[in-house]
Amino acid sequence: MKKRTVVPVLLGLSALAIAATAGCTQKQEKYKTFTMFATMTGTEISDDNEVQQIIAEKTGVKVKESWLAGQDPAEAVGTMLASDTLTDYIDAGNAFPDLLEAKKLVAWDPYIEKYPNLKAMYTEAEWDGFRQADGKIYWANVFQNHKNAATTCTHNDEAFWIQARVLEWGGYPEVKTLDDYFNLIEKYIAANPTDKDGAKFIGYTCLCEGWKYYCIENAGQFLDGYPNDGSVIVDKSSGKPTIVDYNTTPTTKRYLKKLNEEYAKGIVDREFATQTEDEYIANLSSGHVLGMCDQYWNFQQINDTLKSHGRDLDGCNYIPLGLTIEKGMENRWHTYGDTVNVSSGVAVTTACKDPEAAFKFLSDVLDQEIHDLRFWGVKDVDYKVDENGKFYHTEEMRKNAADADYKRNHLCTYSYLPQWGGTSDDHINANFPTEQGSEFQLSLAEPVVNVFKAYGVDNYVQMIGSPEEPLGAWFPMWSYSNDLKPEMEGGMAWKEMGEVKHEWLPKLVTTDDFDGMWEDYMKAYEAVHPQEFLDVMQVELDRRIEAAAKYN
Amino acid sequence: MARAKKNGDIEIKRKITVKELKKQWVLLAWSAALVIYGLIFYYSPLLGLVMAFKRYKIGTTLLDAFTAEWCGFEHFQFLFSKPLFWEALRNTVCMGVINLVTSFILAITFAILLNEIKISFIKKSIQTISYLPHFLSWVIVCSIIHQAFTSKGIVNVLLGAGTNLAYDVFCGIPFVNDWFLDNNILNKFPYLFWSDENWFWPIVAFTNLWKETGWNAIIYLAAITSIDPCLYEAASIDGAGRFGKMFHITLPGIRSTVVILLLMNVGWILNAGFEMAYLLDNETIRHFSTTIDIYSLEWAIKSMNYGRGTAIGLFKSLASVSLIVIANGIAKLFGEESLF
Repeated sequence: MKKRTVVPVLLGLSALAIAATAGCTQKQEKYKTFTMFATMTGTEISDDNEVQQIIAEKTGVKVKESWLAGQDPAEAVGTMLASDTLTDYIDAGNAFPDLLEAKKLVAWDPYIEKYPNLKAMYTEAEWDGFRQADGKIYWANVFQNHKNAATTCTHNDEAFWIQARVLEWGGYPEVKTLDDYFNLIEKYIAANPTDKDGAKFIGYTCLCEGWKYYCIENAGQFLDGYPNDGSVIVDKSSGKPTIVDYNTTPTTKRYLKKLNEEYAKGIVDREFATQTEDEYIANLSSGHVLGMCDQYWNFQQINDTLKSHGRDLDGCNYIPLGLTIEKGMENRWHTYGDTVNVSSGVAVTTACKDPEAAFKFLSDVLDQEIHDLRFWGVKDVDYKVDENGKFYHTEEMRKNAADADYKRNHLCTYSYLPQWGGTSDDHINANFPTEQGSEFQLSLAEPVVNVFKAYGVDNYVQMIGSPEEPLGAWFPMWSYSNDLKPEMEGGMAWKEMGEVKHEWLPKLVTTDDFDGMWEDYMKAYEAVHPQEFLDVMQVELDRRIEAAAKYN
Repeated sequence: MARAKKNGDIEIKRKITVKELKKQWVLLAWSAALVIYGLIFYYSPLLGLVMAFKRYKIGTTLLDAFTAEWCGFEHFQFLFSKPLFWEALRNTVCMGVINLVTSFILAITFAILLNEIKISFIKKSIQTISYLPHFLSWVIVCSIIHQAFTSKGIVNVLLGAGTNLAYDVFCGIPFVNDWFLDNNILNKFPYLFWSDENWFWPIVAFTNLWKETGWNAIIYLAAITSIDPCLYEAASIDGAGRFGKMFHITLPGIRSTVVILLLMNVGWILNAGFEMAYLLDNETIRHFSTTIDIYSLEWAIKSMNYGRGTAIGLFKSLASVSLIVIANGIAKLFGEESLF
């Protein structure tokens, strides 16, 4: 008896299930779904995200993004290649040469001509920078590209950062050198050993995990007043631009020695070298870390956490300082204008069944209407428009925009697809809300506003105060070294230099005998033949200067 | 096919006749399918081993592996010339042996002790609780362990960082009190376990034990239940106590299981703790945390040099097979059970 009832019920259920799935597929056929992988950590948005749905209805395309989790870019892309599970779109970071070699990328060239939106992204000279050995373009960077008037208020680069409350406590002093910086932190900790929740302050910390070890590694170039060429210094003083290795300069040695002294004094986090990135971010979000050296984009996520716990009002937000090794030097921590990083960007892979539609979508997301949806959200829900056509947020909208749940379910920026900085085509609004002057001021916590007032500046860029000057045609050199593989000339030296530095830099900071260890470090460093790498960089530098001369 | 003789012995009919084959054609067809399956999925991938001797760069098809240029022992020479490779080998073998020995001893002890508990409810609960960690992924276990051993982690708190907890508990005992003061123990905490390379292997062994002991004990518990209860009764009559029975009946009773499992696990030594080494290491202890698998990830997968990766894999397989053969030989020498 039992059996007899079970079977029809099961049959009925499965019929229902089939009907339901059939219904689903029919519904989904209204727009195409592409997959995308970016070699960056990120948050996946929910499947029924509202703005994503609106964009899908307007363009006919939905992109399912996935992000790096735990691995590093080369590992992730390597496994995707080996198991043949590439996504339709990919931002492969420094693994692009491997994809290229495996012939897994679709050339952009015909589509650049076809879609004016794509063509407008770069000048002829810039597009040429993206061309590979076969003369074709396979990817285009999506960042640091502005149209109409430039609007930068944030310092999205590297700096020594310090909590607003430390500056306030010190009476907004001049902090121009590395020594000033640590003096201030030392004095602050001596006067206030613990935070208001009773936790001990960490004076300074420094991330060393994986490729994020730039936090300890490259401050030497900035302290000498050079811009972020990343892996080398380009010295223009002799007339002919020359590659200089910043790893061995007296400034780098002084910087590391300073960290060593501060470690001995207990100012530097005792666990700086062994913390994971998650632990680092958690420490910063707790508000117990007074300062660190990092790129803004690497830790900007903590601002939302600080805000949601009210810690922004305690002055836990970080202020960038344009430090140099000696007083009176110019600093170049901030890079004005657009840095075209030709070594990465978004690409369409051969796994994509409909490249035509994929490229059309890359063009569509640059349409002002879609672009506003991505970065501003839905009109009257996420932003309001005043009588002059200027976009603004109410307090609640601002709160929503910082709320992780709201962002996941409602907002969809497609942050690794093509985008514009600068000003909208209406010539009134900024393309990113964070760059909208009026909005920017309102989004700042009071302690940060006070800091700006005390130093007589309006924003982070003025705070750091780097001189505005044209960039060298070669800038940034790291876009070349990032793609260097061990099999290439100079590549083995580059990889092994990285291994040596990974191992020795934390040791130098924690040792009791800095000078003795520095000599051992230099021996280990010379043993991997850094000159081979520097020679290759010089060749590339000369090549870039020559290539740029064509357009002058 | 076998028939009982009068005296109870069994005679096996050895001759295969055509008639017999015809009768069993279904079975034969199935076994043929199995052989074909084995050839396709176990033996044909072995052809990929040629990559170890070729300059193969990943391309559009796997066939490129066979047409690529021969390079002899170049990949092996590269490996053997790197000090880090030998360090990785040392770390792998040491961690593998430590894990193997500790997990064996603890799992067997645990199984025997658990077997002594007579109240079935308590026994079952302990067993369930003990093998639950097995079902957590390594990522979760390793983040817990990493947190636990940081300066603010539970290990340092228990040892007395900030709270002097350990001191408070033990300070009443004069000897311990002196030892604390003489060795300046209180100022040594919080101890930074992650920057001390001497602590990495013990932590890995501990992690492995915490996660796997309960699970590993299941098979021994099963072996113990198959021991004839008459033996225990007889031993009791002869005056054996609890420990006597454990040492003279339970342990010998599971000896063959132990030896076979030991032999099989010896082959896994070189796979020691990829996940743990990958998830727990950091720059300051790299010389003691890199294992062969991490090394191949770094120098083969990440640089997409599949030839070198295959060379590492081949080296590992050969080493593992020799380990098993040696262990098997030793087992035979001592007259124990052996695999082959």
